[in-house]
Amino acid sequence: MTTSSGTTPIDDLLRGSIDHCVKCTICETQCPVSNVTPLFPGPKYAGPQAERYRVADEASVEWSVDYCSGCGICSQSCPQGVKIAEVNAQARNKLKKQKGYPLRDRIITRPTWLGRAGTPVAPLANLTIDFKPIRILGEKLLGVHRDAAAPEFAGHRFSSWFKKHPSPPTGRKIVYFHGCGTEYYEPWEGQKVVQILEHNGFEVVVPKQDCCGLPLQSSGLFDDARKVVLRLARALVPYVRDDPNTLIVGNATSCTLMLKREAREILSLEGDPDLKLVSERTYDICELLLELHDRGELKTDFQPVNERIFYHAPCQQQGHFIGKPALDLFALIPGLQVTEGNARCCGIAGTYGLKVEKYDIAQAVGADLFGQVRGSGATEVACDSETCRWQITHATGHRSVHPIDYLHRAYGL
Amino acid sequence: MRGALNYDAVVIGAGTAGLVAGTRLAEGGARVCVVAKGIGSTHLAPATIDVLGYAPDRVASPSGVMPEFISRHPDHPYAALGVDAVAEAARWIQSRVESGPLAGYRYFGDLDRNYLLPTAVGALRPSALVPETMAAGDSADLERVCVVGTRTLRDFHAALCAANLSKLGIQARSVEADIEVDKADQNSLGLARRFDDPAWRAAFAGRLALKLQADERVGLPAVLGIRDPHGAWSDLEHRLGRRVFEIPTLPPSVPGMRLYEILRASLRAAGGRLVLGAEVVSSERDGSRVTSVATHSAGHDTRYAAPWFVLAAGGFNSGAIELDSHWVTHDRVLGLPLRGLPAEGEPRFIGDYLAEQPMSRVGVAVDAELRAEGAENVLVAGAALPGAVPWREGSGEGIALASGSRAAEFVLARAGAPAGAAA
Amino acid sequence: MAALSTDVLVIGGGATGAGVAWDAALRGYDVVLADRFDLAEGTSGRFHGLLHSGGRYAVKDPHAAEECIHENRILRHIAADCIEDIGGFFVTTPFDDPEYADRFAQGCRNTGVDCEEIDPAQALREEPRLNPGISRVFRVPDGNIDVWKTVWALARGAQERGARILPYHAVVGVHRNGDVVTGARVRGHATGEEFDIAARVTVNASGAWAGQVAEMAGIEGVRVLPGRGIMIAMNHRLVNTCINRCQMPTDGDIIVPMRTVCIIGTTDEHTEDPDDHHVPPAEVDQMLDDGEKLVPGFREARAMRVWTGVRPLFEDAKASDTQTRDVTRAHALLDHAERDGVQGFVTITGGKLTTFRLMAEDTMTAVSRHLGDERPCITKTEPLPGSEDRATYMLGERLQRKEKHLADEQLICECELVPRWKLEQAIERRATTNLDDIRRLLRLAMGPCQGGFCIYRAAGILHGLDGLSAEQADESLLDFLRERWKGTWPILYGDQLRQARLDDWIFQGILDVEHLPAGQPEAVAT
Repeated sequence: MTTSSGTTPIDDLLRGSIDHCVKCTICETQCPVSNVTPLFPGPKYAGPQAERYRVADEASVEWSVDYCSGCGICSQSCPQGVKIAEVNAQARNKLKKQKGYPLRDRIITRPTWLGRAGTPVAPLANLTIDFKPIRILGEKLLGVHRDAAAPEFAGHRFSSWFKKHPSPPTGRKIVYFHGCGTEYYEPWEGQKVVQILEHNGFEVVVPKQDCCGLPLQSSGLFDDARKVVLRLARALVPYVRDDPNTLIVGNATSCTLMLKREAREILSLEGDPDLKLVSERTYDICELLLELHDRGELKTDFQPVNERIFYHAPCQQQGHFIGKPALDLFALIPGLQVTEGNARCCGIAGTYGLKVEKYDIAQAVGADLFGQVRGSGATEVACDSETCRWQITHATGHRSVHPIDYLHRAYGL
Repeated sequence: MRGALNYDAVVIGAGTAGLVAGTRLAEGGARVCVVAKGIGSTHLAPATIDVLGYAPDRVASPSGVMPEFISRHPDHPYAALGVDAVAEAARWIQSRVESGPLAGYRYFGDLDRNYLLPTAVGALRPSALVPETMAAGDSADLERVCVVGTRTLRDFHAALCAANLSKLGIQARSVEADIEVDKADQNSLGLARRFDDPAWRAAFAGRLALKLQADERVGLPAVLGIRDPHGAWSDLEHRLGRRVFEIPTLPPSVPGMRLYEILRASLRAAGGRLVLGAEVVSSERDGSRVTSVATHSAGHDTRYAAPWFVLAAGGFNSGAIELDSHWVTHDRVLGLPLRGLPAEGEPRFIGDYLAEQPMSRVGVAVDAELRAEGAENVLVAGAALPGAVPWREGSGEGIALASGSRAAEFVLARAGAPAGAAA
Repeated sequence: MAALSTDVLVIGGGATGAGVAWDAALRGYDVVLADRFDLAEGTSGRFHGLLHSGGRYAVKDPHAAEECIHENRILRHIAADCIEDIGGFFVTTPFDDPEYADRFAQGCRNTGVDCEEIDPAQALREEPRLNPGISRVFRVPDGNIDVWKTVWALARGAQERGARILPYHAVVGVHRNGDVVTGARVRGHATGEEFDIAARVTVNASGAWAGQVAEMAGIEGVRVLPGRGIMIAMNHRLVNTCINRCQMPTDGDIIVPMRTVCIIGTTDEHTEDPDDHHVPPAEVDQMLDDGEKLVPGFREARAMRVWTGVRPLFEDAKASDTQTRDVTRAHALLDHAERDGVQGFVTITGGKLTTFRLMAEDTMTAVSRHLGDERPCITKTEPLPGSEDRATYMLGERLQRKEKHLADEQLICECELVPRWKLEQAIERRATTNLDDIRRLLRLAMGPCQGGFCIYRAAGILHGLDGLSAEQADESLLDFLRERWKGTWPILYGDQLRQARLDDWIFQGILDVEHLPAGQPEAVAT
């Protein structure tokens, strides 16, 4: 039921879910941010507790909710099903709308702009990213911390490569949603995804596509985020509308989560049928491959990969609520030794850890993970999200790749 | 493409019962997945292993009283489990604690004798097995104690605790410790992290020692370390030169979180999987068997299929069993029949708060082997079971450990060759 | 305690009695107020908190409607801090007679109640949880009023001008010397000690108990019909505007947002006993069904607490005992000198909370006559303590305050954002061991966890601050739990049952309060 305001039952779902809160404190024990800084009072406080004091048409009276990183671990841990992180996100949106958006938050939330601008001039752009004086200037002007992990432009786009390497037609189509990270910064990851899918008999389709809007959402620019994610949904939906067996797969685990769930819940887009259909068909790449394997449909011609690796499941991968399918995939590869980390968060939380006022918090949040990585004896770190990979490499010096890299290697592709 | 992930067994619920069932299944060679809406009761309970505390009078020896208790309560889970199963499960958890990630940490005790430990308000609570960090609080040999509180921790009030203990013949007094923190809303976990730090501990102990008197034990709130409780506790005993014990208080329960870490590590070590945020939203059946469950996951549900299921999702506390506004009670997880409901027209609750409430013993109906009456391949464990009032009897962990173990044992005996050794 | 002597003795510390004390003190009289329990523990503290616009009575009782809108405006001016300007809707649901809406609008015009018809789509934009089937909506200036805040502000204001406020002092006898009432005898609850209060005029402001108190003065025939109704507080504001059914007043026709909750009410059953607080299960079901009519999905929302209030409906002539709703709602001032030939005694009863100031003014007019000394009333303009800046209350206030002191104020009641210093201050000021008294003052334990986390904390702080014995602290704790349960178990289902189970784990499992030591004297360790 959609009311005339465009608010939908999902709003009731978020605000209604606060009724489930029994104040048990479990979320507080899990929050990686409130456990390292007093600036964020914790998910219980910011979510179900403060929500009882919020009136839609009254001004926001808070500031601390801006320090929630949106990692979502609270919602995952809550035994009662309170949508804590989602409630926080909406409160932050209201706060930012009122306070006004700093220029920084308008720029770093648009990876497409940055990508399109930076790719043609990648070598120069990459120099500025590493050039300290420019970083210091950037910090003062924009509020992006001088030391924050900033990725390097690849200099060529994944979609350009794919145009020259279309999939052999097998009739078994699958839609690939690559995300901005793959497109502008790690096109090789996209190549690997395509090759793995082709190896397993899929015909990969890459529609013209753009950002999922997650950075805009997590910085509280909801109106812009809605436009962007709906544009993406409209771009993808024609490919799945007619065939119930066609799926959408992505390797950017925060972006697939945005499509699957966060856009519908946090941006109150439950009523959009295109988005709903797209979200139902979207799979994380490891999720897909594991399900294939469970049905006996995954090729298991794996050669040994003799590596000791460390696996960190990012918060936004855990937010899919599917466990850690990467672990089960690793188990299929002979010779691969995996240390499963049990740290909660690397700290970057998308763009949170880039911001000058949050950088130190982000580093403190990630300290546990970084320590585990260093102590594990592993040579590489597998991690499903690109922003987390950059954060981990930046902090530990270890190379970090997507889990499917090892499958790719084991297939010998 | 709406397949299911196949396992040898799926456990629903990640509280004590669920994690025990999952771990023991995995240790037995089964491919197990534990799915749960969220983290369970571990983080809220004191983490003592309470087997039988009140029957209804205070119990000195659980093993001594259990046979008679069982004969009086034939519908109680202990009637199906028996004392020996509870004892075995207790020994199992003790061994997992000792071999777990918290170096040196152990539980003391057995079913023959209850410890009587102080509570945060100064009552005494019977527990069969207790962490080493609590054992010195046993009132059996507690003559003089200084209960130490801090204004920093609003969840513990030493003066009130000591005042009540004093009424029991214990010479108890209280002191306030000065602890500097960076925020006023500090909880037990925040303090426990500080107690993990040797330098911080040394400074704390140095200041506290000045306030202590000869021959008195020291009782602190349960904050003696989250990563290294053995180190923290033994270090304090050494520095203060006396017995030290911690007293469980309001959630979050640090000792409970330790237990969760231990069980989580045991599950992981045995190759079991855990999926959080995965609420079971539907199930499929084939006659009297549940064939799969679907959990809520982002975008589309995820299905888990298995020949065996363990329902350890809790009772009313977790919402797994619900009484709705039309006064209808049902199992929200698998839709199984319940037992222990008051008869039609009989009151569900009565006005005397401290009396036993008519709805207290509601749970999923089970047979003598703790199999759900509505589904022959579903074992039930923990607070989902009918017939017990764990918070009044002091039986929560005993039931959880033993029933979780029983579920695993039952399945392993019937599973034949497991589908594949756990990875 | 030695006898007290005063100009005006007010029996009853509800809104009316406190209002009389305030009015009298402002006029320069010496006042003593006595209530058998905590202030506002009677009817005043047990209603839903609606500051009437008068719309409810616009058709049924125009005189009452006029009084309400008039006093509504005055109270917003003098008690702004106690009032939240939430506004109200009168909505025609599919269950209401559509004809009534026009009569309603006309009634509002006739009585001066501001009323603006708005498009239902607009109403749904403002209040998305409303029944989408509403066909007509009228906006009126309903508000909510925090009764405990109001009553304590009145009491404090009176105290600042020399009044003596005595909660927990029950009147055990009214002194009468021939045809003159000369005061009363009270018994203090804490010590059982009795003493006399001599007064030139005694005001019987005991509301639903007015008949009983009048009888103590030997006056018969003050017939107050107690009308018992239940109210249910829902865990969070499903609506932020007061929602009224656009129809003749009936059961369950209003949802009032009040602080962090919203309250559905009410029913109306005649009872003989003004202390009758039982909650009939059928009425609970009725309220939930009525809630569904206004807010679909109401039954899936969390019911947090239920309580009853007893309306003091006064009848002078014979009326039916079973249906009290049709008895006049205007208040009744009985000057017993005129009515019964007894000097020095007036009774004020009936009425509704919105008109308490007017009731107090009328009372003091009669009192002044008794005293032979007409002094002007200034309560129309004089602000209550705390309301001097004339700014109405905003729901976000406590959150805003906590955000300003995020790291340095320790919250004791997290649900209702009560900081430690405030609790300690209240304990010191009230000198009470009763945690329910503190609850009423601060809203301690009035949130979803219903004291699960804060009551142990508060008991510990109380024990330390007041130098209480362990027994006293334990008794406070246990009394609170018993009292709380009364308001919980009749609406215990769904989410609140989950909460109750966790609270049971905390109090009976972790703390083991039922096995606290009893009776033994403390052995104090040195």
